[in-house]
Amino acid sequence: MPANSRRTVLTGLGVLSPIGSKLSTFWAAALAGTCGVRPIQLLDVSPLPCRIGGEILDYDPKAFVPAINKDGRKSLKNMARTVHLGVCAAQLAMDDGGPQKGQIDPFRFGIEFGCVMVATDIDDIACATKLSAAATPGMIDLKAWGTVGIESVPPNWMLKYLPNMSACHTSIFFDAQGPNNTITEADASGILALAEAYRIMNRGLADFFLVGGTESKINPVSYTRHSTFTPFTKKNDTPATAIRPFDLHRDGIAFGEAAAAVGLEDLEFARNRGAKIYAEVVGVAAGFDKGMKGKILARIIRNALAEAGIEPSEVDHVNSHAGGSPYLDAFEARAIHEVFGHGVPVYALKGQTGNTGAAAGILELIVSAMALHEGKLPGTINYTTPDPECPVNVHVGAPRTVTKPYAVKISYTDMGQCAVAVLRRYDG
Amino acid sequence: MRKRVVITGMGVVTPIGHTVREMFANILEGVSGTAPITHFDASTFPTTFAAEVKNFDLGHWIPNAQRFTKAGSNARFALAAAQQALADGNLLGANGLDPTRLGVYLGSGEGSEDFHSLASSVADATEVGGYKADTGKFCSAAFGRFDGEHELEVEMNTTAGHVAYEFDLCGPNLTCLTACAASAQAIGEAAAMIRHGDADIMVAGGAHSMIHPLGVTGFNRLTALSQRNADPKKASRPFDLNRDGFVLGEGAGMVILEEYEHAKKRGATIYAELTGYGSTGDAYRMTDPHPKGRGAVMSMRNALIDAGLKPADIGYINAHGTSTSANDEAETAAVKGALGELAYTTPVSSSKSMLGHLIAAGGAVELIISILAMRQNVLPPTINYETPDPLCDLDYVPNQARPKTGVRNVLSNSFGFGGQNITLIASRT
Repeated sequence: MPANSRRTVLTGLGVLSPIGSKLSTFWAAALAGTCGVRPIQLLDVSPLPCRIGGEILDYDPKAFVPAINKDGRKSLKNMARTVHLGVCAAQLAMDDGGPQKGQIDPFRFGIEFGCVMVATDIDDIACATKLSAAATPGMIDLKAWGTVGIESVPPNWMLKYLPNMSACHTSIFFDAQGPNNTITEADASGILALAEAYRIMNRGLADFFLVGGTESKINPVSYTRHSTFTPFTKKNDTPATAIRPFDLHRDGIAFGEAAAAVGLEDLEFARNRGAKIYAEVVGVAAGFDKGMKGKILARIIRNALAEAGIEPSEVDHVNSHAGGSPYLDAFEARAIHEVFGHGVPVYALKGQTGNTGAAAGILELIVSAMALHEGKLPGTINYTTPDPECPVNVHVGAPRTVTKPYAVKISYTDMGQCAVAVLRRYDG
Repeated sequence: MRKRVVITGMGVVTPIGHTVREMFANILEGVSGTAPITHFDASTFPTTFAAEVKNFDLGHWIPNAQRFTKAGSNARFALAAAQQALADGNLLGANGLDPTRLGVYLGSGEGSEDFHSLASSVADATEVGGYKADTGKFCSAAFGRFDGEHELEVEMNTTAGHVAYEFDLCGPNLTCLTACAASAQAIGEAAAMIRHGDADIMVAGGAHSMIHPLGVTGFNRLTALSQRNADPKKASRPFDLNRDGFVLGEGAGMVILEEYEHAKKRGATIYAELTGYGSTGDAYRMTDPHPKGRGAVMSMRNALIDAGLKPADIGYINAHGTSTSANDEAETAAVKGALGELAYTTPVSSSKSMLGHLIAAGGAVELIISILAMRQNVLPPTINYETPDPLCDLDYVPNQARPKTGVRNVLSNSFGFGGQNITLIASRT
């Protein structure tokens, strides 16, 4: 079958984010410019340099469980927060527009998630570590750990934290027996997962995919680990204006937690079952921008536009990865400028959510899908002073009317691993 | 017609050899890589042995290897295996190719967590006899102990990033982690990317090490590891009646996947063609395979369909064959489900009997072994096969390598915790 002979659309959308735990509240908050970056409340991070971030405060996984099934409640205790956030986002996407049981052949129902390494909950190993602490500070007595320590670790401990568990639980809940993968490429994971699922759809091997991204660093181990190497904002006292994508006074990032999922579906299949269609995926591309000069990211963007068969002038907006990092935002701006010049409106969500890591790609893609569907693009918050190092036209303020049919979503990692997706407005 | 994807380079770092040649010679001799754990004091753990990579020196493969001192052993193994594969494929240095047409797709795990700093900080935050740790106390203690350079290297995307940076591979760059299926899945999807035109060449495979206190702890708690501490070399015994779990291994395996015309044009050595790829989810349980191998049957069938082959065309199967009770029984049932009566006459062996289980890296190394078996006309054995299990009644090539000519297609299975099933088929060109 020739490539791209099938058309692939986004049907159900599911969101759990610091500015809303369902699609309608998330979209309203995105349009209103609500900021979800606040003092961290779910953890005591007072000893750490960054004490603000985007937390999901109105989230109770148990509330989703009855909707999943009777085994779901039992499964919850074997899921880390990152994992159940992903599963619940998948449930929301299915509720919004997924196929009903019996509408789809289980072997043609695929799952792709973006995730990362998931840190242990400290309570799970509290007893074990206390029983085996060595006399020397900072050390564990391995002989004690091997006997009384190990015995105190929950039997299914490891399963709670494997990065592929969101995808696996989701496959069990929805009897999805098709291709199943989990991309673990940090902040690029979500769009890379979408790209791979899109390719698999093009090969004709599935009718429907759930594509998700999930990550919560709101965990003592994860948050502390990342605190040792992340270029954070120092604006702890002004969280609502701390994260300033592309702004001259940006000084670093903050973390957010989120999960998002989309139904990626063959157009004919979606039409036949009368599914609501938000947007169409028309191009994807990926690559590695060695040294992060921006030239290769520019080329990747062009590759995605070429696959979509469009010129830069047909793009309504670029939905950027920018999260307030002095270095990374400039890298991305150079690439956008090289492809689009200064004209195209550039949008960034992270001022409102913080950097949601592996969840960011799909979460932010949903903004563009909604923008194309609803005809209005939210404004970027906290952009007040242009930076000559970021020569892009940042869309700020009130929502603007979408004027062109295409949106470009960019994601990348701190190492330069990049992924780009192009969406088209669905006009029937 | 779809593009053909061929394998034009291979590299490994394993418990029984740091090159493809050394590893395969040991495979044919039936050498076990298992021994007591030396990476840390595991003497009181339920399992005290593993298949470790021994005497590994990254400096043998790349210059200034001290740059990667803080990287995880998965990244160090990956760099060495990628260097071998690229050298084997005549792709090192100035090769005149556009770097954005060469990508990387790894099924690669995490770097090892700093166990002592992590666990001692949890202990500092826990009252004597307590089951809850104080978050603030933990953050304070751990922030003082964690080394940022090391913690950064623990992240899962760093390995693929290092490989890309070191060898100037600026095409698509991906990491997946579907537990024990990951590197096979990486190879299957990377080949599909080449067919689509996303790249001309992909360095694909995996790297992993879980031979650290938390890794052994996790698998021991799941009762997945063999505890045959008195006789480690006999511990990995796939399909044998007295098997009691898998042996944890570590290492890396990389192949160069290349579009066929591209490879021909530059005169590359072609080892095999990657003809078939099947990928399914069990959607059954987190730890146990479906007892009839439902998803595994479909991944093998899908790979055969993808390759345009019939069961009779498969001359050798490299099993996932972990040496756990559940896997080996379910995989045996699945091979029967996919091949029918031919299951009984198609040789099936498990390289894990010698290598141990390289977790995410296993599938790539086992594909390389399958290709070498086809090219060198000899089937690798399943060692430690002593007592037949009535529920595992196929031809497992017991204990001795077996000469066999005329194998034109080989099939390699990899299954992951959580139910991902991957099947790859490689064929003579």
